[in-house]
Amino acid sequence: MDIELGYYLALSALIFGLGAIGFLVRRNVLVQLMSIELMLNSVNLMLVAFNRFLPDNHAGQLFAFFVIAVAAAEAAVGLAIVISMFRLKKTVHSDRADILRH
Amino acid sequence: MSNAGIGLFFLFGLLAVLSALGTISMHSPIRAAMSLLLHIVSLSGLFLLLHAHVLAALQVLVYAGAVVVLFVFVIMMIGPASPEPPVTRGMLVKTVSVAVMLLLTALLAFSLMPVQKAAIALGNCTDAEGPECDQFGGVLAFSKSLYAGGVVPFELISVLLTVAIIGAIAVARGRTAAESEALARKLKAAEQARLAQEARERALAAEVSAHGGH
Amino acid sequence: MYQKALLGIVLFPLIGAIANGVFGRKAGRNVVHAVAVLSVACSFALALYAFGSLLHLRYGQGEEAASITYTAYEWFSLSLNHRTLSIPVRFVMDSLSGVMTLVVTGIGLLIHIYSTGYMSEEPSYARFFAYLNLFTASMLILILGSSLPVMFVGWEGVGVCSYLLIGFWYENPNYAAAGRKAFVANRIGDFGVILGMFLLATAANSLEFTDINELAHVRPTQFTSALALGPQGAPFWVIPSISLATAATLFLFLGCTGKSAQLPLYVWLPDAMAGPTPVSALIHAATMVTSGIYLVCRLSPVFALAPATMAVMAIIGAVTALMAASVGLVQNDIKKILAYSTVSQLGFMFAAVGCGAFAAGFMHVYTHAFFKACLFLGAGSVMHAVGAHGDADIRTLGGLRKYMPLTNVTFLVSCLAIAGVPLFSGFFSKDEILVGVLSSAGYFSFAPWLAPTVFGMLVLGATMTAFYMFRLYFLTFSGEFRGGPVHETHAPAAGAHGDHGDHEDERHDHDAAHDHDHGHAHHEPHESPPSMTIPLIVLGVGAVFAGYVWIGIVHFEPWVKWLEPSLGSIHAEHGHATPYIAMAFGLLAAVVGIGLAFQFYYKGSEVPAKLATQFGGLHRLLMDKWRVDELYDATVLAGSRGLARLCAAFDKYVVDGILTHVSSQAVASLSFLFTRFQTGLVHAYGAVMAVGLFFVAFHFVVPHADPAVVGDPTGLSVELAANQGLGYEYRWDFDADGRFDTEWSNDSKAEHAFSDADIVRFAVVFEGAGYGARPRTLVVAPKQEIKVSSGALTRIMTRGELSLDELGESWQRGEDAAAPLIKADEQGLLIKPRGARVRKAGAVQPADAEVRVSRGEHVSIGEARLSVSGYVKPRVQVRNAFGMERTESVGVVVPKVPPRITAEIAAVQGSK
Repeated sequence: MDIELGYYLALSALIFGLGAIGFLVRRNVLVQLMSIELMLNSVNLMLVAFNRFLPDNHAGQLFAFFVIAVAAAEAAVGLAIVISMFRLKKTVHSDRADILRH
Repeated sequence: MSNAGIGLFFLFGLLAVLSALGTISMHSPIRAAMSLLLHIVSLSGLFLLLHAHVLAALQVLVYAGAVVVLFVFVIMMIGPASPEPPVTRGMLVKTVSVAVMLLLTALLAFSLMPVQKAAIALGNCTDAEGPECDQFGGVLAFSKSLYAGGVVPFELISVLLTVAIIGAIAVARGRTAAESEALARKLKAAEQARLAQEARERALAAEVSAHGGH
Repeated sequence: MYQKALLGIVLFPLIGAIANGVFGRKAGRNVVHAVAVLSVACSFALALYAFGSLLHLRYGQGEEAASITYTAYEWFSLSLNHRTLSIPVRFVMDSLSGVMTLVVTGIGLLIHIYSTGYMSEEPSYARFFAYLNLFTASMLILILGSSLPVMFVGWEGVGVCSYLLIGFWYENPNYAAAGRKAFVANRIGDFGVILGMFLLATAANSLEFTDINELAHVRPTQFTSALALGPQGAPFWVIPSISLATAATLFLFLGCTGKSAQLPLYVWLPDAMAGPTPVSALIHAATMVTSGIYLVCRLSPVFALAPATMAVMAIIGAVTALMAASVGLVQNDIKKILAYSTVSQLGFMFAAVGCGAFAAGFMHVYTHAFFKACLFLGAGSVMHAVGAHGDADIRTLGGLRKYMPLTNVTFLVSCLAIAGVPLFSGFFSKDEILVGVLSSAGYFSFAPWLAPTVFGMLVLGATMTAFYMFRLYFLTFSGEFRGGPVHETHAPAAGAHGDHGDHEDERHDHDAAHDHDHGHAHHEPHESPPSMTIPLIVLGVGAVFAGYVWIGIVHFEPWVKWLEPSLGSIHAEHGHATPYIAMAFGLLAAVVGIGLAFQFYYKGSEVPAKLATQFGGLHRLLMDKWRVDELYDATVLAGSRGLARLCAAFDKYVVDGILTHVSSQAVASLSFLFTRFQTGLVHAYGAVMAVGLFFVAFHFVVPHADPAVVGDPTGLSVELAANQGLGYEYRWDFDADGRFDTEWSNDSKAEHAFSDADIVRFAVVFEGAGYGARPRTLVVAPKQEIKVSSGALTRIMTRGELSLDELGESWQRGEDAAAPLIKADEQGLLIKPRGARVRKAGAVQPADAEVRVSRGEHVSIGEARLSVSGYVKPRVQVRNAFGMERTESVGVVVPKVPPRITAEIAAVQGSK
């Protein structure tokens, strides 16, 4: 039995789903950000897996490289926002972040 | 693929899934961060299995070494989390969204599973070839692709990172003591101006009604 | 060459109007009146030229119905009765319009010259002349127009100009109100003209006068057939049956009562004296008010076909004549007397044309233009002399013959003419009217009392006319000047000359200029300047001699003969004695009237005063002009005021209420609903995104084929195409038997020539009757029936049935025909005609036979057409990269290829 592409894709889909569920369910902003990282990682996995099975060029890995860079930048800015919110509201509970509503 | 390969796949795969589950379900954020770390490492192992050597290293370096560290810093700075109040609000939204996401995940996974594509054999570099080896996913091949074909996105990424740094600093800086004082003074001045305006309007209205409403 | 003259006749005054209107104020008085007078003079010259050409055509070249036509351009075109009707701007001068054009331009020229003197102190000089020129241009368009729409342009134009000119001194609200009254009364009439125009257009399929009149001569039944009112031609139960000619002419007559000031729309004319006197002379004596008579004469062949309308016209004309004359007996203002006299004389004219004496009525138009214009201009001269502005009470005048001899003579001459004294022009026309009335007894066979009654009323009116005109003359020109203290000269009652019922004693109408007293006549009255007296002289001469131009040895042969090609006739016969009876009565009327006036006013007498007190009620009624204005105010005006209030309330409460409350409420509720979505919580937004993501994923995961026919399916083979997608593979099943005919391929298009074996159903292409009905396709399975029923078309269409209305008008063989029965079986359609007219291959099928329609054949039921084609349902199965499969099908109507073409194709393919 060989590990074929489908296995990797299914695994990636599973991790993506878990990340999405985490984002939608958890109320702690930090955990939500971590779930976003999970989703990005799953996409990375899929990209690299495709590249392994179509190894004409390194396109998939390059793309994953850029995704990592962007994810890092995004995590930085997101955490800065969390810190600001904490300073303002003294909490990191996302239900409290509803100033826009009023 | 060798049996070891298959076994390693299942090991790392299982680890990835379990740690992902841990990330999303752990209550304490620091534990969730640790779980995320484990997940990243297991993903790095999967990358190795997929002949993406550079990327595996980068994954540990950047993700595990920088991003997760950043998370830990922030968690530490925020301090022990106040206990989350029991979530009663929005249960319907949560249930619906979870159900939908589960459905979607299952749909995707079961659709993607039957994709049959066998891996083409890629040899590993022998010691004899040394660093000149053009191994798929190796440093030489990877950097050739990156700097020859993707040099423009590479430079743009550096711009992006600069922008992110500036943005993060701007957002998270907060105010110094002097700035806070200045802001407080400005707010007070605005408030006083508004009160004065209201007083003037009331006086005018009184005058008009006193003259019998012309 | 002379055709272009017609264009010039109309254009010169128009250009003059525009020039004076735009540049007049800056140009100065001399330029203004030079332009105005010159333009009308040019118009008159051209009219003479054109008339001369007409005479030459008629008598020199012997063309019986000579006319000059000039077509300017095509105005617009209508689609009427499935034909296009083009309406050009065309001017025609024939014998009728030729005379009228000369009258309008000639008398118009004289009045323009008169106005240069009369209005010399008027500040808005240029505006006056601009309006006057515009009026002349509109009147000429009215006269020379060759079709009803063009004439209507002129009709409306003179209405507008009369409004502008009556309300010329608009700063006075009473004068402005008089202008409005004229316009509104005219407008009510215009509504009648429009309706009459429409009716005539449907009957004659043309709006040109020549076409309508010719049709009336050649095929009168087109007009005299009963008008179909109500559904299916059933006559409306209120009006039993009315012929188109009667309806159209009644509507047109309504317009005439507005324009020519008859009952019931005459009320504007007396008030119209608020305008300057030249305006009254031009508009209300010579031209505009006679356009009603002109219209009747123009369409006289049609009017002759409608005896009911003619009777109505005769009666209304006679009643108006009598009523207006009775009011004129007691008025004290010169212009008011002349105004009522105009209404009365118009009544004479309508009585004449109503009794079929079109030529006589038109003759009276012609002579009336001269003497009435002369009378009005003379009145203006009098007012100018004594310094009165706008009105002159005759009680304050008198003895003016010493101071203004020219005016005196012309005024006297005109009074003699209007009274019908022999050898003056009015005598001839009035006499001919009376003859015409008496001769119409045969035409009005359904109402034998009509002709004698009208005759009697006209004689009475003539008597009153003579009386009050000479009362006016004697009180103004003879005796001594009463300009200082006012004498109480009582106006008499009507004597015993017929009471016309009693009207409500409502409140007094207060006539604005009625009891105005001019106590100041400090300066001595003087004769008017030559610019005013010369036109008077010319008109006076016309008043005497106009009649002579047209008489021959016996009455009016040249006049009647000249107009004969343009007028219709009622073939009236009169006895040998009739002309003498008429002449006798006419003379009697004149003598009695003048005699009484002479007795009461020249000699001076107490009788008028005594009659006034004895018949006080009647006297007051006459002074109040029969209180018609009050009647209108209480009924029509009060009604419209009430309606206006109702509408205002509706607008305020209902419309505004809905717009403000309902709409704002709707927006508020909707926004409340939408604000619930804005929770401000990020995870809620994420949840919504997840749901959206799910649907997007569905589209990608599950393949969609949507097969459709590409191009035209009537060729030999049909091309089908399905959607393309990532990794899609296709498999086609053309004959719907469950087995796929092609293998999996990446090609999304497939081509297949369907044979008879592939057909699963029959498609019936149904083309219904009527305009704009698009062909419908109904798919029938074997053993299914297509029901033909009646009812709402849209409901029937949604149920997939056929409607009886779509079969056309004549689908039934006979009364109570049953609808046909249409069934489908394996070989095609089976139709049982039953009560319907079914035709296959040109032959009508018997009622009980079964008509078989196979694929490729067609049949007609009534006016509808059914053709049968085949219906196939190919299927496609599509599989995407994830391996999901989906099957969809599409229905295609496949007509049968004619065997000839198939044979040709086979031959071509065989030879390759």
